Amino acid sequence: MAIDTTIYVRPQSGISAYLDWLQMLTGAGLILFMWSHMILVASVNFGVDAMNTIAKFFEDSYMAQVGGPMIGLTFLLHFALAARKVPFRTEQQSTMWKHGKMLHHKDTWLWVVQAVTAMIILIMGAIHMWTVLTDLPITAQKSAARIQGGFWLVFYLILLPMVELHVGIGFYRIAVKWGFIKRKTRQGFKGFENILTLIFIAIGLITIVRFILIQVIQV
Amino acid sequence: MTRRLTFNIFRYNPQDPESVPHTDNFVLEEAERMTLYIALTKIREEQDHSLTFDFCCRAGICGACAMVINGRPGLACKTLTKDLPDEITLMPLPVFKLVGDLSVDTGTWFSAMNEKVESWVHTNKKMDPTVQEERMNNALAEEIYELERCVECGCCVAACGTANMRQDFLGAVALNRIARFIMDPRDERTEKEYFEVVGTDEGIFGCMGLLACEDVCPKQLPLQDQLGILRRQMGWTAVKQLFHIAK
Repeated sequence: MAIDTTIYVRPQSGISAYLDWLQMLTGAGLILFMWSHMILVASVNFGVDAMNTIAKFFEDSYMAQVGGPMIGLTFLLHFALAARKVPFRTEQQSTMWKHGKMLHHKDTWLWVVQAVTAMIILIMGAIHMWTVLTDLPITAQKSAARIQGGFWLVFYLILLPMVELHVGIGFYRIAVKWGFIKRKTRQGFKGFENILTLIFIAIGLITIVRFILIQVIQV
Repeated sequence: MTRRLTFNIFRYNPQDPESVPHTDNFVLEEAERMTLYIALTKIREEQDHSLTFDFCCRAGICGACAMVINGRPGLACKTLTKDLPDEITLMPLPVFKLVGDLSVDTGTWFSAMNEKVESWVHTNKKMDPTVQEERMNNALAEEIYELERCVECGCCVAACGTANMRQDFLGAVALNRIARFIMDPRDERTEKEYFEVVGTDEGIFGCMGLLACEDVCPKQLPLQDQLGILRRQMGWTAVKQLFHIAK
């Protein structure tokens, strides 16, 4: 029952605007991070040494030790900010679900995908970060050994498409929400974003296969 | 060969305690250039006099005949049956109060919305009937007119996931309306005053960018572009407020 019980004017505040800025900026930052992350990990395709050299650089410059936890915090902040819009009440969830089924509208479904992948990434991404950052230094051999264990292979086969979908849809959404992409260019941009997502998933899969093929020397 | 169209139409009369929401099926032969409005009128005349639906202008100008057509909100008078499959499902618009069957009360919602965004030119100038009207740059007048074409049918609100989930969300129609006044040089409202109206989670920052409004608008209003412009404008106003330089 909604009864208007307002007896005074709500104080003016820009809080919604600041939070929306932050949601966009953390999102954009994480998109850039995820792209860079994928390219850096994919360096293993050019040889074990390529990846190890890059990893060593990031550890020697303390970017992994400091930057890693910073990314972790940005990740949590982005979740908290975006969660303001995600329905957690059953009633809202079922409204959204029925609405999506009724409308047959791709962008509305993409939002549902964004929200669902967000929850999976929140858990799996946190596990991944904890595992990697508590076991520095990063080396191609250690990563390969982890993936060849089996459990982590399945883990990354799930996490990879989840992240790439979320990143791709988020990229598109920021562009249309903030007016970078206008009506005229929307369809073209969406096509570009789809291809980009597929390319990153492909690079990810190739990299996983590469890790499986690396000979791990048992110590 | 003429097609036989099957209409699955939502039926419910909230005034009648005996009435239970259900779907009725009607079969109709398709005629040339038949619109949904013509089909519905035929069904009401020939098959069921109690069928309730709204219409007025029959030409996509009044916005009264908006309904959910095979899942998509649209105007019955502007929708040709030849663009639809043999089976057509008609539902009333969500979000708005149901009057009966396909008829909803958009009026109450829209008058509240217009009050909320103060949908009129705010000026302190006194009108002098003896002098000529002030002139407006033609290009600007056309730009404003482009947004002014809204017929308040409610399709953008019904198609909006956010508006369906959150009753307090203003919806694309209100944001488009405020964008129109921001453009209008006669409106003397300051950016702070506009921010007060739409710079919240009920306004532009509640929009999640699902863009169904843009995709269903029967008048093809540039909603995506206006929402983008408004988000930036309000975003900058907020930043300016932080440094106390907002007007």
